[in-house]
Amino acid sequence: MHELSLAHDMTRIIGNVLGRKVHLDRVNITVGPLSGISPESLRFCFTEIAKIEGFGEPELVINQTRAKLICLDCDTEYEAEDFYQGCPDCGSLSRKILSGREFTVDSVELEEGED
Amino acid sequence: MCDEIIEQKIDITTSVMNKNDLFAAENRGFLKGKGIYTLNLISSPGAGKTTVLESMAHYFGSRMAVIEGDIQTRRDAERIEKAGCQAWQIETGGACHLDAHAVKHAMDQMELDSDILELLAIENVGNLICPSGYDLGENLRIGLLSVPEGDDKILKYPSLFSTINVLVINKMDLLPHLDFDVDRAIEECRSLNPDVLVFTVSAKTGEGMEEFCDFVESNYS
Ligand SMILES: Nc1nc2c(ncn2[C@@H]2O[C@H](COP(=O)(O)OP(=O)(O)OP(=O)(O)O)[C@@H](O)[C@H]2O)c(=O)[nH]1
Ligand SMILES: [Mg+2]
Ligand SMILES: [Zn+2]
Repeated sequence: MHELSLAHDMTRIIGNVLGRKVHLDRVNITVGPLSGISPESLRFCFTEIAKIEGFGEPELVINQTRAKLICLDCDTEYEAEDFYQGCPDCGSLSRKILSGREFTVDSVELEEGED
Repeated sequence: MCDEIIEQKIDITTSVMNKNDLFAAENRGFLKGKGIYTLNLISSPGAGKTTVLESMAHYFGSRMAVIEGDIQTRRDAERIEKAGCQAWQIETGGACHLDAHAVKHAMDQMELDSDILELLAIENVGNLICPSGYDLGENLRIGLLSVPEGDDKILKYPSLFSTINVLVINKMDLLPHLDFDVDRAIEECRSLNPDVLVFTVSAKTGEGMEEFCDFVESNYS
């Protein structure tokens, strides 16, 4: 699973912004339902990688967003939690994706005593 | 006295795919500058990516170069070289997908300056899930599904089949022996991905391959 390499990418991004490795209390991220990422698998990988990479044992807080879509058959704008949720008005799966593929590291919270 | 409040929460706001997307954009610009059209071939292991490329090698000859992505071994690159095209093997050493940086690195070491070269085909690591999140800088993303895998796979792997430009259904020569419903597969793919183009081929017998190669060529010529 590529969640392992994504967990590595996350620690690299955090390390770059902080400029050093410190123990973290929390890591806040956003994962869209069309990103292809399994949040639980990511949590499992990130916990291991964060420890190995010197960021302690932060809690990973995952903000799971809903996708924003426009139905191509009837123009209804709607939200969905996964790939399979079609248009609430006509049931069609043909749609334009406005958002839902996002995967961002939003912020980190340092352990007390770290600054 | 003014106690300084230490800001414990630090803003990061960085897309995790940002680095890959930057390399992908760079690859796309680099290839455009060289006049090379690029394909990213994605399928499960054994669906026939390398066999399709061998068949394409007969059509395109030295107008095509190939990047092979595998976890290990140079086997697929050797098959492509035997079929008459320049091939570069990326051994990911465990990674289940190619990323744009690995492709850039491969391109740096390939001979891409030739005047006759017009097409670069990238065979991704056999996997229906992980490669779908990584833009490599391709112009056309091709999903390959082979008849023995079953006609129910498309809705099971929506992150791939909703992002492809072209669906190639391979191993059509085996259709008489199996209960694969071609119309169902196409219909399910269109339901996720209304713009998808579909080709049915047998890389083994060559059936449908000329039509597919004509189509690839028509995208840039
Ligand atoms: N009958 C039949 N067999 C095919 C066809 N295309 C490929 N094969 C066979 O399927 C097997 C796998 O083909 P490959 O081309 O190696 O598949 P691949 O997708 O490149 O596999 P990986 O690189 O390992 O992921 C080989 O034994 C091929 O000969 C086809 O159109 N018909
Ligand atoms: Mg292969
Ligand atoms: Zn609708």
